[in-house]
Amino acid sequence: MRRTSWILLAVLLLLGLAPLNVSAQAPWSSEGAEEITSIAVSADGSRVAMGSHGSKAAVFDQEGRVLFEVEAGNVVNAVDLLEDGTLLAASDDRHLYAYGPDGHLLWDRDFKHQVKSVSASSDGALVTAVVQRGKAVIQVDAATGEQTGSFPGDTILKTAEVSADGSWIAAAGADQFIFLLDKDGQPHSRFGAGGQVQSLAVTGEGDVAVGTDTRQVELFNKEGTRIQSLSTRDHVSAVAFSKDGKLLGVADLSGFFYLFDSNGSKLWESGGGQVGRALAFSPDGTILYAGQTDGSIRPLDVGSVIAEGKSQTRMRTAYWTAGALAIGLLLTGWLFYLKKQKRLVVFKSIWHSRWVYLGLLPSFALLFTFMYFPAFSGLFHSLYQWQPGGKTTFIGLANFERMIHDPYVSKGLGNLILLIVTGLVKALIPPLIVAELIYHLRSKKLQYGFRTAFTASMVIPGVAGLLIWQNFYDPNMGLFNHFLQLIGLGSWTHGWLGDPQTALWSLIFIGFPFVGILQLLVLYAGLLSIPLELMESARMDGAGLPRIIRSIHLPLLAGQFKFLIIMGLIGIIQDFNGILIVTGGGPMDSTYVPALQMYYAATKFNDLGYASALGVSMFAVILVITIINLKFIKQSDE
Amino acid sequence: MLHSGKTRQLVSIALLALLVFLTLVPILFMILSSLKSNAQILGNFWALPSPARWSNYAEAFTSIWRYILNTVFYAVTGSVSVMLLSAVSGYLFAKKSFPGKNVLFLMMLAMMMVPSVLTLIPSYVLYKNMGLTNSPWAMIISSAAGGQVFGTFLCRMYMAGLPGELFEAARMDGASELRVFARIVLPLSLPILATLFIMQSVGVYNDYIWPLLTIQDSSLQVISVGLTLFTKQFGITDMGPQFAAYAISSLPLLAIFTFGMKYYIQGMTQGALKL
Repeated sequence: MRRTSWILLAVLLLLGLAPLNVSAQAPWSSEGAEEITSIAVSADGSRVAMGSHGSKAAVFDQEGRVLFEVEAGNVVNAVDLLEDGTLLAASDDRHLYAYGPDGHLLWDRDFKHQVKSVSASSDGALVTAVVQRGKAVIQVDAATGEQTGSFPGDTILKTAEVSADGSWIAAAGADQFIFLLDKDGQPHSRFGAGGQVQSLAVTGEGDVAVGTDTRQVELFNKEGTRIQSLSTRDHVSAVAFSKDGKLLGVADLSGFFYLFDSNGSKLWESGGGQVGRALAFSPDGTILYAGQTDGSIRPLDVGSVIAEGKSQTRMRTAYWTAGALAIGLLLTGWLFYLKKQKRLVVFKSIWHSRWVYLGLLPSFALLFTFMYFPAFSGLFHSLYQWQPGGKTTFIGLANFERMIHDPYVSKGLGNLILLIVTGLVKALIPPLIVAELIYHLRSKKLQYGFRTAFTASMVIPGVAGLLIWQNFYDPNMGLFNHFLQLIGLGSWTHGWLGDPQTALWSLIFIGFPFVGILQLLVLYAGLLSIPLELMESARMDGAGLPRIIRSIHLPLLAGQFKFLIIMGLIGIIQDFNGILIVTGGGPMDSTYVPALQMYYAATKFNDLGYASALGVSMFAVILVITIINLKFIKQSDE
Repeated sequence: MLHSGKTRQLVSIALLALLVFLTLVPILFMILSSLKSNAQILGNFWALPSPARWSNYAEAFTSIWRYILNTVFYAVTGSVSVMLLSAVSGYLFAKKSFPGKNVLFLMMLAMMMVPSVLTLIPSYVLYKNMGLTNSPWAMIISSAAGGQVFGTFLCRMYMAGLPGELFEAARMDGASELRVFARIVLPLSLPILATLFIMQSVGVYNDYIWPLLTIQDSSLQVISVGLTLFTKQFGITDMGPQFAAYAISSLPLLAIFTFGMKYYIQGMTQGALKL
């Protein structure tokens, strides 16, 4: 049995041991290019063109050698390459240029407005441009630069993209709407994106990818129905489809690059370098060219990622099969062993109790699926860069290392220690005082009445209670400042939660006078269980009330105290409800705790592996507390 | 001696009364403010609401009734599932002997030791992958799966104390196992089941982080999250209706505690003392 679990563990570990690497070649650069605005790859993949903020457009060959460079009068907003090697460049100098394969100017047309985008089908049959404040997609003749048509929209357009085969035109308006036009310019559909459109790409099938400032890439089909929303870490800066439309490359403003397949699952992600401003795939989809803020082009070899991903899926299947086989073999061996020992009767009794197992089945199915699985998944994924639905990479203890250097975590730990100390004081002293006071009341009716009165505070839902306290601290209409003014301490009024100096203490003060119901009831029940004779005899010996409390009550309540301390510790380490609702960790980092950082890592930054590592660390601390407690109890029992 | 004892009693009572008052300040403040307009709160903070604005309650109710209804539904379905699961497992663990009983029970108990902070994020991913997020199942299943652990523990403890002769007698009379469970075990265990139901319902009603993570759809959202969205969602900036909403959201808990305070306290102290 033991061996089986080891093998399982080994299999699990092996599953993620080979991280995927994208081999990036050295970036290509062009002198004085500045930030790249646009990238295009020719249909045969032999040429890569880029346009830049530095009023430059350049064409490179496959090896990154500059074939030619041209200069415009202002920022080059967009470039595109045709099959015959023609380079189209749109510039803020209000001109649209076309250059031949060797870099000589074919034509140059003045649009009287800044030309914001140009896009062409590979054969040059359909060339479109959008000018500043223009409401129409302008069609241009690739040979002469003459305007041959215009497809009016009902809003100011930002950009327009033509699919590589020229069958669709996608145009984005400044008002978050996207128009999909067919090759004759007839409107096909119109749909809204979830945020400001930052970039746009369209496939030959009419599928549209829209990168927005809401940290999302939205995928629409040609009817305008949203198929997928892919989340990124920051505003999307560029999107690009591969020629067959099966791969989607995405870049964001934090310098991350992502690769998605057509189902929207993430194949790969990398970050930490330059911010990608423009993206384009090589025709076979194996290289993703990224134009970066420093004016360089970085070719990312994504083909190997895809190939490796495929082989890894195969490996995974192989591992699982091997694991299943091993388990099967072990089980058979075990059965034979039992038979030899003539202990197979156990199966008879198991069969006999089959209804019992059937009865337990629902409970245990839920237990394993929704309790055990997440617990182990958390332990396991704390060693990974975890991207559900995409590539999960084994990174060893890097998450834990990062935790040590995370300023929010160290700040949070300091806060947590203060919260624990004050929390324990709050959980023990006021309830003890109240329990003693109630215990010493002569009238049973009063005892009952006060107990009920204290518990009445439970009828307010926890969140409502927190929101009311948040309102108490409000600088203008809050109870505290009004109360201070009432008693003549108006100068002390304060924005309690807005000041990093007072925010944490304001949080601690929530719930004043801290008569916790559970604590009160536990201590009160403890007091009631103390034999009356004990106190009678102490009183006979002339002990006063303080003496009785000190020498009889406190020692006999030790068990209750220990319980409350442990529960308090575990509760405080895990709790971030109050902080999340009342301050959200702010102002600045003044009220962070590790549990809150875990929540933010998962929800804001989609950093699930790191969040798991934080969870595992807190679990470890709680486990140690529990073990110490168990040991402590054993010792004191002996 | 007697005299000093009496003053001591009076001092105790006065002190307790003060503490009760301070403890209940949020409730009192909530009720008073819920009847005021913004002008009344800002202009004359300490005055009683006059005239009382009952329309605040109407306004609050139209905004949050949906959230309350959702939450009550999740709480009741979740708690009933917990009761059923725990009653069956608790009974089997208490009164039956079968191979692997101790191992299985320990496996269940072990989950009581695992803090939610470890499972929160992985659970979220699991539910998301299973397509359970943004649906009532996210709330119901998590409440059932989590609650049954403590529930089984409580039920086993309670049912072990039920007289075994009773079951034997019924079985002698030819009652089937199912009948014994339904007709004898369940009725005798009603107090512990009531305790479970109430504890679980209150737990679901107060849950905040989990629904915040798993439910995005406003029409499925629970009251805890709903209260924090209140201002944003409905553009209500007046404090009065907000406090009225807090007061309305307290009503289900008020109802539960009025009828079941005894059971709730039993559950809390029992859970506390046995650990």
